[in-house]
Amino acid sequence: MKFTITKEDFLEGLQQVQHVVSSRTTLPILSNVLLEADGNSLRLTTTDLDVGVTGSVKAKVKQSGSTTLPARRLAGIVRELPANEVSVEVDSKNAASIRSGPSFFKILGLAKDEFPPLATFDDANEYKISQGVLKDGLRMTSYAISTDETRYVLNGIFCSFKGGALTLVATDGRRLAMVENDIEFPESRETEVIVPTKAVNELQRLLTDKGDVKIFISESQVAFELNNNLLVSKLIEGNYPNYRQVIPEETKERIVLERETFLSTVNRISLLANEKSNSVKCIFGENKIDVTANSPEVGEASETMDVAYKGPQFSIAFNPDFLMAPLRNLDTDEVYLDLIDEMSPGVLKTEGSFLYVLMPMRVSQ
Amino acid sequence: MQPGGENLQPRKIIHVDMDCFYAAIELREHPELAGKAIAVGGQPGGRGVLTTCNYEARKFGCHSAMPSFKALERCPGLIILPVRHDLYRSESMKIRSIFAEFTSRVEPLSLDEACLDLTGLKSSGSALAKEIRFRIKKETALSGSAGIAPNKLLAKIASDWNKPDGQFEIHEDEIPQFMQSLPVKKIWGVGDKTAERLGLMGATTCGELQKIGLVDLHRAFGQFGSLLFQLCRGIDDRSVTPNRQRKSLSVERTFPSDLVTLTEGTAELEKLINELTGELSAKHPERAVRTAFVKVKFTDFQQTTAECSAEAPSPGIFEGLLEEGWSRGKGKSVRLIGVGVRFKDQESLDEDAQLELF
Repeated sequence: MKFTITKEDFLEGLQQVQHVVSSRTTLPILSNVLLEADGNSLRLTTTDLDVGVTGSVKAKVKQSGSTTLPARRLAGIVRELPANEVSVEVDSKNAASIRSGPSFFKILGLAKDEFPPLATFDDANEYKISQGVLKDGLRMTSYAISTDETRYVLNGIFCSFKGGALTLVATDGRRLAMVENDIEFPESRETEVIVPTKAVNELQRLLTDKGDVKIFISESQVAFELNNNLLVSKLIEGNYPNYRQVIPEETKERIVLERETFLSTVNRISLLANEKSNSVKCIFGENKIDVTANSPEVGEASETMDVAYKGPQFSIAFNPDFLMAPLRNLDTDEVYLDLIDEMSPGVLKTEGSFLYVLMPMRVSQ
Repeated sequence: MQPGGENLQPRKIIHVDMDCFYAAIELREHPELAGKAIAVGGQPGGRGVLTTCNYEARKFGCHSAMPSFKALERCPGLIILPVRHDLYRSESMKIRSIFAEFTSRVEPLSLDEACLDLTGLKSSGSALAKEIRFRIKKETALSGSAGIAPNKLLAKIASDWNKPDGQFEIHEDEIPQFMQSLPVKKIWGVGDKTAERLGLMGATTCGELQKIGLVDLHRAFGQFGSLLFQLCRGIDDRSVTPNRQRKSLSVERTFPSDLVTLTEGTAELEKLINELTGELSAKHPERAVRTAFVKVKFTDFQQTTAECSAEAPSPGIFEGLLEEGWSRGKGKSVRLIGVGVRFKDQESLDEDAQLELF
């Protein structure tokens, strides 16, 4: 195999696939990136057996062929190369000679025969959605994914293709983020799957604001095709909890908040939140909210925000991190906070289809 | 393993496993029974099973989890004593306080076994193990066996090597040789059925298992396959974690022949629920339950878990979950059923608590 490529293209190709490679792997070939040169492109592929990514970049191929090389090391070398043009030549023993300007590197690879192939999607259902919409949807929900391995069905984003919409849901059992977008697909393709966290993270890296992403779903796998890349992942097996039942139907008080103001207030006050219980209290009074926190033997903090509020006085406590996460990941100017009482879930909403249910904290005093 | 390689010396892990713990305590309390076959467990009338039995009873083929009536058929003179959890727990606490004198890095695995990380202590692993066993015997009049090795997997295997009242050490440089002839069944997590499947793949020893590639193992067993790939080489990086809080409790059963109808499944479910309820009240009466789940493994090794929130799961809830899980097999027969509960975080029971949606 022999090709020349620009440093920029090579690096971009490697960066899109290298995060899948796990730093600690028991099978050496899984640390490697599969390189396949043919025609006028170089295809790069990595996998950890659960998730795989493949993509291609432009290259001048003088002799087509394939090999696998250590992904992280290769990316490290290419990043530091001194000239813009890079030539790569691989011999029959999978030793790669990399030349760029005055530099010469030789790195040893492994034959491609051992490289596990990515799953194929012959009998898959296909869907299409705009990249920007999916990107926003994942950003608005993915922070709520559970990291508790014992609740493995929650270790991913629930994707429901039903009723002419794609609903994305993430929850850790204490808060739940959901966003819904209309997309077109025939009723016969209605389905619900759970896409694991690692695939969500990789997908977020690959998504741009332009163009569409095609989604293929088979019995146990999902694939996302976008730009020049294909991301393949196993699905999480199991039943997602009935999330609709935890979304309150009624609400007593709706408070309109300026998102950035509220975010910075909570952020400031949380500096004095008790490390162990980690809560901030919102005390609602006539046309104001007092946001307070105190930490025994450390001190206390409070700040008053002016809001339009006419209801009765009451207070409710939240984990500040859980309160700030959606505020940080939204881009609207205003958010609505719907509350019932101090022990019932609060709901954060925007003008769009976004919704965030957050359980309060029970506070001792 | 530590990043940066600053700690290259092998770890010194000791696994201590008490010999027939419950039965040994009962024998100590009833010296008149010395030399007789005894067991601790449920009475043969109902669905009682043996919790444990002494070596005299094992000679007749009795073992733990065996139905008591069957044990009596094999060993008609067997004396079955009722289970006294409080007594066993207080003995276990005495033993743990001995461990605590050696290190704070103690991970109790159950009342009668624990892993200790003694890396950094000057004495040799085998001298430390000897001393720990001596102290246990002196203070409780009970015997325990110990395994000494660079990791938890091997320490646990080693503690079984010279049982009862013995110890065995596996040195770092002996691992490759030791693993070669070790039966796969000795690996943590490999039961009869996995061993049988590995046998079909040509691996009855770890040496043979090492010849199977990671990709094939992952394909056959999923994530557990990746773990097997490491374990069969004697590699185990898990650390000894004190105060590890149990997050769930479950019991499961692989059936001698696959179950075909849900009715058969429901009948088995009832036994499993009884067992689970018994374990819950005996071992974790203080923990609050968050969810109930039923695991179903189908004949093709695909498995599924049906789960729902439940603070006091009734048999009806488990039946519903079994039905749900069962239906996901779309007619496939079932090789294993498990029932369990997940606990609420102990912390969330504190005063300032995050409330849960589910």
